[in-house]
Amino acid sequence: MKQIFAAVLMLVCAVTVASAADPDRMRIGYIAEPAHGLHFLAKEKGYFKEEGIDAELYQFSTTAEGLTALKAGRLDVGTFGTAAPLLFISKGSEFTIFGGMMIGGQAIIARPENVANLKKLENYRGKKIGMAKLTTGDVIFRSALLKAGMDWRKNDYTVVEFPSVGNVVEAVKKGAVDAGIVFSPHFTLAEKQGLKVAHFIEDFYPDYTCCRLDANTKDFNERKDAFKRFLIAEIRAYRFYRTSPEETVQIFTKALKIDEEVVRKDTYTRKAFECNPDPLKKGTIDFWRQMRAIGYIPNDYPIEKHINTEVYRQALETVIKREPKDKIYQEMLAFYKKNNQ
Amino acid sequence: MSIWVMKPKACMAAAAFLTFASFTCSAEEDGIFRLGYLAYPGSALCLVAAQSGHFQAEGLRIQMVAFTDSASGLASLEAGTIDSGAFGAGESLREIARGKKLRIIAGGGVPTDPEASAGIDGTGKKRPDSSGIVVLVAGDRRFPDKVTITRLTAALIRAHQTLQLHTKTARSTAEAQVDVSGMAFDPNPDYWRLEKLWRELGLQDAAMPRDFLASHVYEEIYCDALDRILVESDLNDPVIQQLFIQAVCTPNCCPANSGKLFTTQQGGNTL
Repeated sequence: MKQIFAAVLMLVCAVTVASAADPDRMRIGYIAEPAHGLHFLAKEKGYFKEEGIDAELYQFSTTAEGLTALKAGRLDVGTFGTAAPLLFISKGSEFTIFGGMMIGGQAIIARPENVANLKKLENYRGKKIGMAKLTTGDVIFRSALLKAGMDWRKNDYTVVEFPSVGNVVEAVKKGAVDAGIVFSPHFTLAEKQGLKVAHFIEDFYPDYTCCRLDANTKDFNERKDAFKRFLIAEIRAYRFYRTSPEETVQIFTKALKIDEEVVRKDTYTRKAFECNPDPLKKGTIDFWRQMRAIGYIPNDYPIEKHINTEVYRQALETVIKREPKDKIYQEMLAFYKKNNQ
Repeated sequence: MSIWVMKPKACMAAAAFLTFASFTCSAEEDGIFRLGYLAYPGSALCLVAAQSGHFQAEGLRIQMVAFTDSASGLASLEAGTIDSGAFGAGESLREIARGKKLRIIAGGGVPTDPEASAGIDGTGKKRPDSSGIVVLVAGDRRFPDKVTITRLTAALIRAHQTLQLHTKTARSTAEAQVDVSGMAFDPNPDYWRLEKLWRELGLQDAAMPRDFLASHVYEEIYCDALDRILVESDLNDPVIQQLFIQAVCTPNCCPANSGKLFTTQQGGNTL
């Protein structure tokens, strides 16, 4: 996989110069999750093209590889979680978070016989919990437990860290841990293997921030109009996702090549996440504070400097001007005001 | 075994030769990886990895080259006469601050009593840079490539495991080369520890970009190597699990690593 990555990255690198000459080109990196589907919708429905954006999609298997490519200027936009870009920024990367992609989407899985014992946060005291470090679920669930008075550093519960969410699922199956934190579509796939979802993390920590849209700050500042048109396409994709569920499921399934029923269930039936392009400035700052509290980022830093909400607001105003009576766009504006101002 | 250890006593002349002679045969050409190390207890992970066969297990044919000071070792690394090296953290950071294209890929031994080890580069002065050993590669070369560096780092992690699990045997092996008493070992390059040292040494220049140091610390390599060893150990090895808990590695996020559910991306490009 990594060899393929390297080979393709070289090709991407080879055309980097051409990109600089094309102000409308957007090379978009993402990781394979249904919740990252606004990119697929915007491309498939022609919104990028209609807004004058020449969009190319690149799938990555790790957030670190994706952000390294973004930092090197081989991508223009990255959708690589929340923890990873904040960690990169803490180490000096000049990224700007200018939008979002996903809210929620993490769940706690357990063996069926253990689910009844995991109904409340307090039930996790003394338990062994498996998680992949620096995933959104890791940061948010530890924070939820901390707010409930439980600290892993005081051995109130035990964290067992794994390199990937796939390893977490396996550990839960084997009984090596009492519960595991995984994201969509892993919990639904785990259910197919006999495990159960004990809770969605949103039950304990409502409306938490997940994957953000990141760009290199210099590029973002030099091409604000292009990024605004990119966001207009994403906002229109969000409207499509809200109004056309069946076609959305088809597009997500085609793009990700996973079971259509898994996509339908997570995206609509039980609404395990929400695709949403809002920058969620307040939630992002809160996430940063949680990472600091856990100890992932020892040094404080004014993270606000790296969050731009203005271009998203302008993009939203543009679509509202086009369709002033559209209820979904009005909802988005109210949501924006609540979460960014 | 495919190793050749140069003893410290012989190393000064060799180091000078390696540094200044016209040395045309590279590791890429002859398949032998030249690993420099400071003849100092903090370099013991390299020696243990060599003596315990961890380099060999990773498919590396290693030639060990000892140095008595970090400055000549770093100069050899920059000149390309060695492919990697384990040298003093403070001296390495100073060279990076001077613009040398070096990248830190792993940590090493740190003195449990920093006062006692001040001046590891032979200066005899007590400076805030007595923070042990880091392992570096030159950042501007085609070789060693990422795969080779990951293998090298994996062997150092295995050496740490050997030191922790078989303390007596391994320490006695290491002691055949150097005295490792009073040292704590950690193969993690540990960006935040280096960043603290970087600040203490006053190395951040106003003209440097904010990520100047981060660009010279290759944590991703360490995380990749650690991930692999953790999975190979069936996720059960307590020493590796402890290293994993201490490391701040971004996750392997996706089903690409957990069942090949996502193979290609329709309408996009699979990397």
